[in-house]
This record gives sequence, C-alpha cells and structure tokens, in this order.
Amino acid sequence: MGYEPQADFGTPEVRADTQVTLTIDGRSVTVPAGTSVMRAATTSGGAIPSLCATDSLAAFGSCRMCLVEVEGMRGTPASCTTPVAQDMIVRTQTPRLEKLRRGVMELYISDHPLDCLTCSANNDCELQDTAAEVGLRDVRYGYAGAHHLGQQPDLSNPYFLFAPDKCIVCSRCVRACDEVQGTLALSVEGRGFASKISAGQRADDFLSSDCVSCGACVQACPTSALMEKSVKEHGKPERAVITTCAYCGVGCTFRAEMRGEQLVRMVPWKDGKANRGHSCVKGRFAWGYAHHQDRITTPMIRESVDQPWREVSWDEALAFTAGRISAIKAQHGARALGGITSSRCTNEETFLVQKLVRAGFGSNNVDTCARVCHSPTGYGLKTTFGTSAGTQDFDSVMDADVILVIGANPTDAHPVFASRMKRRLRQGAQLIVIDPRRIDLVRSPHVQAAHHLPLQPGTNVAVLTAMAHVIVTEGLADEDFVRDRCDWDEYQDWARFVSDPQHSPEFLEAVTKVPAAELRAAARLYATGGNGAIYYGLGVTEHSQGSSTVMAIANLAMATGNIGRPGVGVNPLRGQNNVQGACDMGSFPHELSGYRHISDGATRTMFEQDWGVALDPEPGLRIPNMLDAAVDGTFKAIYIQGEDILQSDPNTHHVAAGLAAMDCVIVHDLFLNETANYAHVFLPGSTFLEKNGTFTNAERRIQPVRKVMEPANGLEDWQVTQALANALGLGWAYTHPAQILDEIARLTPTFAGVSWDRLEREASLQWPVNDQFPDGAPVMYVDGFVRGKGHFVVTDYVPTDEKTGPRYPLLLTTGRILSQYNVGAQTRRTANTAWHPEDVLEIHPLDAENRGLKEGDWARLASRTGETSLRVSVTDRVAPGVVYTTFHHPETQANVVTTDYSDWATNCPEYKVTAVQVTPSNGPSDWQEDYAGLTARSRRIAAEPAE
Amino acid sequence: MSGTQDRLVYMANQIARNFAVQGEAVAIAATARHILDFWDPRMREAILAGDRAGLSDIAAGAIARLQASP
Amino acid sequence: MTTEAVIAEILAAHPREQSALLPILHDVQAEFGYVDAAAERIIADALNLSRAEVHGVVSFYHDFRSAPDPRPVVQICQAESCKARGIDTLMQAARDAAGERVRLAPVYCLGLCSVGPNARVRDQLHARLDEAQLVSLVKAQ
Ligand code: SF4
Ligand code: SF4
Ligand code: SF4
Ligand code: FES
Ligand code: FES
Repeated sequence: MGYEPQADFGTPEVRADTQVTLTIDGRSVTVPAGTSVMRAATTSGGAIPSLCATDSLAAFGSCRMCLVEVEGMRGTPASCTTPVAQDMIVRTQTPRLEKLRRGVMELYISDHPLDCLTCSANNDCELQDTAAEVGLRDVRYGYAGAHHLGQQPDLSNPYFLFAPDKCIVCSRCVRACDEVQGTLALSVEGRGFASKISAGQRADDFLSSDCVSCGACVQACPTSALMEKSVKEHGKPERAVITTCAYCGVGCTFRAEMRGEQLVRMVPWKDGKANRGHSCVKGRFAWGYAHHQDRITTPMIRESVDQPWREVSWDEALAFTAGRISAIKAQHGARALGGITSSRCTNEETFLVQKLVRAGFGSNNVDTCARVCHSPTGYGLKTTFGTSAGTQDFDSVMDADVILVIGANPTDAHPVFASRMKRRLRQGAQLIVIDPRRIDLVRSPHVQAAHHLPLQPGTNVAVLTAMAHVIVTEGLADEDFVRDRCDWDEYQDWARFVSDPQHSPEFLEAVTKVPAAELRAAARLYATGGNGAIYYGLGVTEHSQGSSTVMAIANLAMATGNIGRPGVGVNPLRGQNNVQGACDMGSFPHELSGYRHISDGATRTMFEQDWGVALDPEPGLRIPNMLDAAVDGTFKAIYIQGEDILQSDPNTHHVAAGLAAMDCVIVHDLFLNETANYAHVFLPGSTFLEKNGTFTNAERRIQPVRKVMEPANGLEDWQVTQALANALGLGWAYTHPAQILDEIARLTPTFAGVSWDRLEREASLQWPVNDQFPDGAPVMYVDGFVRGKGHFVVTDYVPTDEKTGPRYPLLLTTGRILSQYNVGAQTRRTANTAWHPEDVLEIHPLDAENRGLKEGDWARLASRTGETSLRVSVTDRVAPGVVYTTFHHPETQANVVTTDYSDWATNCPEYKVTAVQVTPSNGPSDWQEDYAGLTARSRRIAAEPAE
Repeated sequence: MSGTQDRLVYMANQIARNFAVQGEAVAIAATARHILDFWDPRMREAILAGDRAGLSDIAAGAIARLQASP
Repeated sequence: MTTEAVIAEILAAHPREQSALLPILHDVQAEFGYVDAAAERIIADALNLSRAEVHGVVSFYHDFRSAPDPRPVVQICQAESCKARGIDTLMQAARDAAGERVRLAPVYCLGLCSVGPNARVRDQLHARLDEAQLVSLVKAQ
C-alpha cells in the first residue's frame, strides 16, 4: 500500500437541509447549502490550488491562491470564502487565473529556501505541490526578499520543531491552536513581510509558551515549518494503519504512519467520530514507551520474591505457572484463585481473562481496575437508568446550552473532548464547574465559568441535593417529562426529601462551604438554561458516597428532563481507554458480560453451555476483598493483566501485605511495574501497536485496534492468556480476536450486532447494537429507559468517616495532569516528562505560610496510613484547608497516604478525601528510601539466563 | 481498621447507613439484598459467624434476615 | 506605585471586555512608554485572553513598543488649563524639533495650572512656555 495523506477538502463540512446545484468547470455538482466553492470543487474530484485553507479550519481567505472566476461576479473571488449558490457557474482553470496564481506563488517562493530535495517534507509539502500545480518554474523577485531565511529553528518541544525559514505565514497553525485546540498559544508577530509565527510572547519558545503539544498546528501546517522530529529522524512514512489510542477514554483514532516496522508518527484520523481529527500530546506523541529499554520481552519466574528473576522460555514460564495454580487449587480450592482485568487491554483480552478465571480457575474472583475508578458509575447508572453507561456521544456537547462539569478536569484528563467542549463554550454555551479546585476550565482564555462551586471535598451529595432542593422548591422541575418517563411516586418521594429545609443551600452551606446564592444561581441555570449536559469524572466516583453521587446526578437530569436527546444527558468521563469496555466484558465479580448478575440462572446457563463448564453462581471477591482474604490466608494466587495495583490502589501498605501473603502472583505487563516486586511470574505484554482487538470509549463506541508491528515479546496479550489457559488444559483455539468478539456478541445481547467485519466496514459502533438498535445508539433513552421507568433514588448525604482533626487538619484530594497518564508507566518513559517531571503538592498560600513553606520546598505529607515527601507548589487554585496532588510517579507513592475507606456500594476507594498534615521536610521519607531499596532488590534479573 | 471481621462489620454498617434514609424496613431489606448481590459467600459466612456487636440496627436486621433465608 | 498597581488602575478604568484591549494598550503605552512582556501578561489575564494573543496585537501596531524607549523624554501637559493656555498651538513646533530623536509624552496636569503651558523633563518642571522656549527645551535633550 502506498502512502497517501488524508484528503483535504479545504473547508469544513457543512450540514444543511437544503442542497444546492452548481456547475464547476462544466461538471454539475450538488452540495449542502453553505458549502464553499472550494469544497464543492474538491469533493467532486476537482482541485483548486490553496495554501491558507484546510478542512479542519474555518476559511480565512488570506493567501489569494484559490482564486476562481464566477459567471456574473466581478473580479476573481477566493473559492475558500465564497459559498456556493444555486446555478452558479464556476471556472477554476483559466489563463487569467493561472497568471494570477503564479504571481502569488512567486512571492511565497521568493521568501522560501529552495532546498526541497533535502527537506524532510519533500513530496509531503503543500507549498511544493501548489507550486507545481500553478506551473511555477522560476522566480522573478530573486531570493533577496528573504525575511525569514536564516532564522534558527525552535527545537524546544520534545516532539516537533518549528523552522521559521520554511514558514509561509499562512497562519494555519495559529488558527488550529485557536479553533481546534482552544489553547491560543500562537500568534502572528509583527505585520506584513516582517510578520512571523510566535509561540507565547517575544522571549518564549514553544516549550515555555502555553502550548500543550497537541500537535494540531503541526497537522495544519502545509510545509515543513512545523514538523514532527520523528519524521526527520526516521524518514517519510510509507503506509498508514488506522488504530485507536490506548491512553484515555476519549478513544481518539489515529493513522499510525509506518516506515517498514518503524512507527514514524501518529496522525489523528479525520474520520474518527470520537476525536474528529484532533488529538492530545499523549496519543499523538507519547508512544515511545513501546520501544523503551525497560520493556521486558522474555518471560521470567522465581520461586520466591526474595530471589532474583530467572529468564525462561514461554513454555517453562507457563508450565511453572500452571503447576502452581493447579497445586493451590487442589489444596485451597478454586476460590483461592482470582484475576484482574485491565482497562488498558482490549475487550477481547479482558473477556478472555474473566473467562479464564470463571471457567478455568473456577471462581468468580475477577475484578478490574475500574473498581478503583468508575465502579460507582456502573452501580449508579444501572440503578437509575438501567444501563451502566453514559447517555450521549461526544458530538452531543455541540448542542448543549449549559454544561455542568463535576469532579472532572477535562482539559487535563480528557483533552480532546475538552477542546470540543471549549469550542462550544466559545460559541456561547454556559458553564458550571463543581470542583474543590479551580481547574483550568473555570477560567482560561475565552472560557469563563458562569459559576464555580468550590465545594469541600467529600460533599458532592450535599451540593447536588441542595441543587435539587432549589429546582424542586422553585418549581423548575420538568414534571411533564417525569410523569412520562419516570416513576411518579418515586419522584414525589424524592421531591419531598430534597424539599426539606435541611437540604436547602443555606442550611448545607456549613457543610459544603459553597455560598448558597451561588449554588442557587447554578441550579437555576442548569434547570432553565436550555439543554443541560452533565459531565463527571473521578471526583464524583472516588468517594465513600461515589455511588450516591452518581445517582444524585441522574436524579437531577431526570427531574429537569435533560435525558434522551442531543445536547443533554449524564456522561461519565472514563479514565483509561477501555474502562467502559472492561466493565462491559464482565470484569466484575458479580456480573457476566453486559452487566448480568452471576446469580441469574438463564444467563449463567447460556455461558455454561457455550463454555462447557459449570460456573459458580455466587459473586466473587473484589480487589480489596481479595487482598483482605490473602492476608487471612484464604486467597493464594492472582493473575494481573496490565495493572499496577501496588501503585494505583489505595493504602499501598495494605496492598503490599496482601500481595506478599500470596503464593503465586502473576504479572502480565510491559514493564517490571511496582506490583511485580511481589510477583513470582512475569509474563511480558504487548503494546496496543502490536495487537488486534477493540476498545470501547466513554461514549460506548467500539473501535478497532490494529496491529501495526510485530509484538516485541512474540505474543499478543490475548495469546498469552490463551497459552496460560491451555497450560491449564482448557484447550482454547482462537486464532484471531475476531473470534473472541464473535463469542462476546453471541453471549451478550447489547453486543449482538457487533463483529470485526462490521467494524472494518463502519469503523465504529456505539452499543447497544442489536435488533432494537441495528446501527447502535449515539444517544440513549430517546424513547424511554431500558428499565421501563426512570428510577429516582433518594440519596442521603452520609459524610465520610475520614475526618480532619488537630493532627491531620488538611484535606488531600488527588488528580491527574495532561502530559501524564495514570501511574505513568508509559508516559514516564517518554519525553512527556518535559512537562511533569515529578508529582507536586498544591497548597493554598495561607496554609503554606502557616507552615513556613515556600514554592518548591520539600514537604512531608502524612495521613493516618502513611507518609511521603514531595515538593510544594503554592497556589490559590486550591481553597485554604485543601491540598492536591497527582499520582503519576512511583517515587512519590501518593497512595501511601490514601486510606482504605471506600464507596459504600462498590468499594471504589476514596482517593479524593484524605485527612493529612503537611510539614516542612528535608527530602524523601524513610518509606520512599526503604521502598527504593526493595525495588532495586526485587528487580534483579539473574545474569545467567537459565536455559 | 484491623482484621477482616471488623472490616466486614464496617462495610455492612456503611451500606446500612446509606439505605437508612428509606426507613428501617426498606433499609433492612435493601441492605440484605445488597450483601447477597455483591459479597463473596465467604464474606457472608464470616459476618454471619462472627461477632455482631458492632453492627448497627439496620445492619444487624439485614444479617439476621440473611441468616433466616440465606 | 508598582507597575502592577498602575496597570491595575488603567484596567479599572476600562470595561473588562476584549474590545477594551486596544484602548488599554494605548494607556499603558502612554503611561510607561512601552508595553512589555509583564504588562502583556497582566492584561491578558484581566481580559481572559491568551498572552500570545495580546502579544500578537502589541507587535502588530507600530504604536506599541515592547521595551523602554531609550530616547530622552519631554512630558508636555495636555490637560484642561494648559490647553486653555495654548499648548496645542505649540505642539507642531515641538514635534518638529523632537523628530525621531526625542520622545514627546503627554501628561495630564503637572499641578502648575495657573502658570501653563507646562512641561517636565526628568524632575525639572518648566512653566510659562512659549514656542521658542519649548523648542529649545526639546533641542537641549
Ligand atoms: S501543539 Fe497544540 S497547543 Fe501547541 S501550539 Fe500547536 S496547536 Fe497550539
Ligand atoms: S508554521 Fe506552517 S502553518 Fe504556521 S504559518 Fe508557517 S507555514 Fe503556515
Ligand atoms: S489520550 Fe485520550 S485525548 Fe489524548 S489522544 Fe489518546 S484518546 Fe485522545
Ligand atoms: S486558500 Fe483561499 S485564500 Fe488561501
Ligand atoms: S493643566 Fe497643565 S499643569 Fe495642570
């Protein structure tokens, strides 16, 4: 397959009800009204030379290259800014136009270095193409005008460079940063011939500017002025494979552009429905971990964790593992065995791991890392709406009038979706932010929240109840919707509950610390401002009231009629790329795929017949229960795929104790992660670039992941699981994940219509895909709720038992940052560390001053469970009494301090509230130093491979 | 928190506290149902067998109900 | 007053709207003789624009300088009394004398209203100026 960049139609697609027919160069062309002449020409097979236009940006009309003649119109209008009209007659190629275009081209070329043959953009340069198109051979102005020649390139960004001498000042980059990304980091400095592109202010380079390295400008640049360094390094790509990002729940699709087995660059795929051609720094640039030297590609085993690792063959590793598992099963029974699926692996891999546990190990002790992030979403939305998933697609935000963001930080955690949201906000939608911290969305260029409710961490339910109080008592509820769609009696119970004066914003202000007037105004805006859409994240779920908060959100949406059409809804922003998928695939100990309870006889029978084994009808252990049981001596072996529970789960000491008590810990991962310090078996994993399968993003969109290179470890992850199953005698014989997907579809009603072939054809499908929704469901509950009537649940505010006091007077809350991902195993092994070299503690100036702490000082962060040390950043983003940090770096081990309090319904850990004390310190804590020692010891690999 | 029994009691009480707003009778039934739906049988057995002194009224009611019809 | 405080006063005199950017920049330029990177940041933050945007505007117009003007300055009062006493009629001559070499900066009242037209060079006040005196004052810089 030859390399073709994706077609560029010059100006964005227009959706319109009316069609217009015109004639271009003698061809009759029909397009939606409002389309530009340029797009009409290019989509119908013609080509108009252009430089400043690209279809991701609004037409600008500055380069004068795209001139055309229109019958009855004077002069030569620019085709990019001229809309089509009925019966218009357009000519794009005439001697006059040729002459004009050549003249314009000469001006550009006169100020451009003529080293095309050695330029890394050679043959992938629109300037070069356009020059050829207009037949430019020699330049009359000479090359003396040279305003930009000889300027030094800006190499500060780790991933792309800016070479001003190649720049034609078309401003596509500036407009991409403004319109697509919404960061507005670039400007045109100066004017006329002296103008040039500048990042930030005069003394800035790209790295010191506001640039977040999303790459939109690089993609928009027609020349090699902005270009990926990897293209310079590896050469031009030769082929492209469409695949899906393995970082976050947005699920951006990319063209992985390859040269041989070498990935040259990832370019966002314009036809991707989740990302619509945009990306963030992680998906686009942070894939270098796939080739990192730390990656382990040979299986390793050891008798006990105090020994060094021994590198062995796959056969030996699998035989060793199967031997241990069988022995434990014989001695302690099936319920002593369990597994953890990964939200980073594909649906097919996840499905196989839970199948291995249920059908092979014979227990239901399977859980997933979603336990620690979105399990309350599953519980809460299933209880209220009947389906454990968000209600909308991402496009829906473009129809929202009021956007309520609660406990989420989209610009850092879901950047591509945040860019869409910001675009909508710039168009005039209103924003309400409920978050203890002043996240960037509250105020950033051209975006300003109408209301920010900086609540006390842990009081989400109280705030939402107070909002409901305002809505009900002020008569703002949509009772027609409620009567029609929901259980009216339940609604009335709920309405009575929230109307209680004890639930008024004024009464609850003492608890929430949110000014009542502000809360009232926010509630009114959400209820009456038009389409109201709620987006929430881990700041909702990771609390002891996580499930209650999810239900309180659902109540609010139902009470205001904000369900069942574009622009509204309840939308969990999923953390990892395949959290939705992992949950869908039956990764919870009480549920089979499609959220059906294990005690449901009919469902279980279906699986038993398909798999040919009897299944345990009782729910199994959740992750924290597995660890408890391990300490008690009744849980002995665990297979962990693609998760680092030691770093990501709360109360590190407790996790370590649980792991240390087990006889067989199998870690299946890319790197010797922190959990592997306690492992007996290490099975090397494969990256998303090395395997086939599917991921399901936060909008329930199932998208293919495609193998673009051979796995460095020799096997795709599903093959490893299958090999382990077969070592245990299960006799699986899948040859492609498509067969696993068929099995999922066969056993899961909501996936009935999904197949690999269909995904190959249609690129993505939003479940449910079945007889009722043959093409999937972008927006759910258009015609009513799955469970019949929407269910209002009275959600009492039950405060957490984690309380501040004299010893631990501050509340710690945790989050993540744009450039890093979760525990950072991947991003820390890329140049993304340029932006986030270590975890820091944000503290309010008052609290800092009381403790004698200044910006950059080391501080000791202590809670009842443990302590760690990190540097402080003094900022009023956090309120007095609240401190904040991220958990991307193992050196910090932020989870050493988090407690084992958890959500009442799902045991999702309460990461977002820990009572702490902060005091000055000299450097890393004892635990950090001990731990560093342990890590070094347990990572030893024997020098002599035992073959 | 120390010991598995303490932890189970804590969990049961926490579930009960969140259902309490629905009134005692409903809350007892809901708590029992929740434990049945989400707890591994060994955890249920342990709490049935263990010391119930720390249980709240609703949690104790739910455990009693589970004992009556497991 | 600190630079920040002076800019804050200027900002307070304008609506917090993006359309106020140019008038604000003109005031800052008039006050300090330049709009530097620090001022760009403060203004960007106040109007909720990006600092790149403000920088783009500042660099686009020749009216704005990005660093202090190294030229000598003659501040000439343009406020009511001095206007009434004829400062406007002297300005053309002053401009001719200044050329590109000397910067003429407007000020609004030097506190000597009864003896205008007035000007100031560094800490030195000059009152009752006529055309010849003003021209020689400018030339002397
Ligand atoms: S990489 Fe993204 S944020 Fe940075 S300048 Fe380009 S478009 Fe703007
Ligand atoms: S860097 Fe590229 S996109 Fe930006 S103005 Fe220059 S040529 Fe155009
Ligand atoms: S990390 Fe998320 S937002 Fe970034 S490219 Fe990947 S899927 Fe898209
Ligand atoms: S492409 Fe139309 S004016 Fe540049
Ligand atoms: S008006 Fe000129 S000094 Fe007062």
